[in-house]
Amino acid sequence: MLRAALVLCLTGYVFVYTSGRADNPIRSDGFSYYVYLPSWFLFHDTTLSSVARDCCGGVYPAYTAIIRWPTTRRWVNAHPIGVAVMQAPSFAVAHGLTRWTNLSPDGFTLYYQHAAGLSGLFWVIAGLMVLSRLLRRHFADPIVAATLGAILLGTNLFHYATFDSSYSHAYSFFLFAAFLDLTERWYGGPRVRTSVLLGIVAGLIALVRHPNVVFLIVFPLYGVERADLLRSRVALLWDHRRLVTIALAVAAFVIAPQLAFYYQATGRILVSSYGDLGFNFTTPRILGVLFSVQKGLFFWSPILLTSCAGLAWLLRSRHSARAFVPPALVFLVLDTYIIASWWDWQFGGSFGHRGFVDTLPIFAIGTAAFFERVSRQPVTRRVVGVIVFLVIALNLFQMLQYWNHVLPFSDTTWEQYRRVFLQWH
Amino acid sequence: MIRRQVMLALLIAAATIAAIMYLRDPPWLLSTTSGMRSWETDGSGTRMRWMGGHASFFVAADARTIEIPIRTAFERPDDWPITVNVSIDDRPANRVVLTDAAWHRIVLTMPPRGSRKVRRIDLRMDRTRDDNRAAAIGEVVAR
Repeated sequence: MLRAALVLCLTGYVFVYTSGRADNPIRSDGFSYYVYLPSWFLFHDTTLSSVARDCCGGVYPAYTAIIRWPTTRRWVNAHPIGVAVMQAPSFAVAHGLTRWTNLSPDGFTLYYQHAAGLSGLFWVIAGLMVLSRLLRRHFADPIVAATLGAILLGTNLFHYATFDSSYSHAYSFFLFAAFLDLTERWYGGPRVRTSVLLGIVAGLIALVRHPNVVFLIVFPLYGVERADLLRSRVALLWDHRRLVTIALAVAAFVIAPQLAFYYQATGRILVSSYGDLGFNFTTPRILGVLFSVQKGLFFWSPILLTSCAGLAWLLRSRHSARAFVPPALVFLVLDTYIIASWWDWQFGGSFGHRGFVDTLPIFAIGTAAFFERVSRQPVTRRVVGVIVFLVIALNLFQMLQYWNHVLPFSDTTWEQYRRVFLQWH
Repeated sequence: MIRRQVMLALLIAAATIAAIMYLRDPPWLLSTTSGMRSWETDGSGTRMRWMGGHASFFVAADARTIEIPIRTAFERPDDWPITVNVSIDDRPANRVVLTDAAWHRIVLTMPPRGSRKVRRIDLRMDRTRDDNRAAAIGEVVAR
């Protein structure tokens, strides 16, 4: 399954860049996530000024979301350093090859571009590997294979592994899967090694996308199925306070460089790197985020309805995966509220709602539970199989429509959607 | 089983070495550019490409001189001149200041051919205009 996923993603990636569907992988948000690497390692500059001089005559274009901080006039990047940290290994390989071939070592020539693009693809496959390991502890192999296939091809994950692989979502997908896996392993037998890994992953989750720090709630709430269990959970964590402290200290160590960069640029360690743009917590667009034709999660990825059914069933069952459900539900409610409160609740141009790509490991648990339940009855299994196949086919077709600019990048209206439905051009 | 794994590892190692050797001076390098937009034709009928702050392209290593047609835009009265720094394989080769909107030719005398089949020319501008456009580059002539 994983080998097939790798081959499919690589094929999709090659298709995107050889057919002219996209020009360079480092573009739009991908630029600002990546820009730290050439700045640190090629120009030995932590202020981002050197790259601005080299690429753009000293001033970053507006689309990069890298702004001058009003009081210090230094560059502040709306996007934190986490993606760049996780791209660093592929960047090192690209730099070596760039020197060898004698391409311009400025951080944006051919090898750097595809190192950044393939890095995202790699982390999606790594995320699927971790997810596969986690799911196998609770579900049979065919259920796991069907779940991974449905999540990769039935949602916008494939798009963010190939077309927009330099965005943060591929990285968060891996980190969320790893955090779920480590959380379960920690409660299965708390160890120093697992605590250190949890700290690294928790730190990276915050470094890749700050609002995702809410996901860390999964750790204390794992397996807390009733409110009265909260007290015993606090007691358990207190009993293991040495390991919890290790995890927190490692996470703080991972996050520290970001705070240092903020301090260098603004004179403060905590800043809103988006400047004046922010959240409208009093008017969240919940329905828009979940169901609208513009970017609604279930409108564009209806396969995730299987996940909702699966999570609901898990909650009432005695299944071994049930421990994930309470934190998953708390997190999904909070995350939906946060996403729906963002000033641009559609998250700009994207295929489907990209804000939820990060959370797909949680949805995968629900989908696996749903598949397991329906697999018990042969007739239901066949009917669901046909529906899932059609939903995946529709998703892939619509993804190709997006790649071909048939579907708008954002603000899709019902009229537009109806007009181009199943139309190739 | 172990023998098969050793064979596979050897095969991968051989393919990697072959790929690395190929990438030393690949034939597609001569048509590779970076930092430049698509070709277009300006009002005088000259084919050109806009570049941002930094662009690079390649010429055959046996070229003795190359000519780079270049111009910038002066759209506002307060637009500053643009300084162009040219380097060959990362060694400074020329410096030109564009003070008007006319086409100019940067002529470079190429250093003796080294071990490579192609040479990289980098152009770096000290500023850009709106939409990250610094200068337009015409068709480079190598002799």
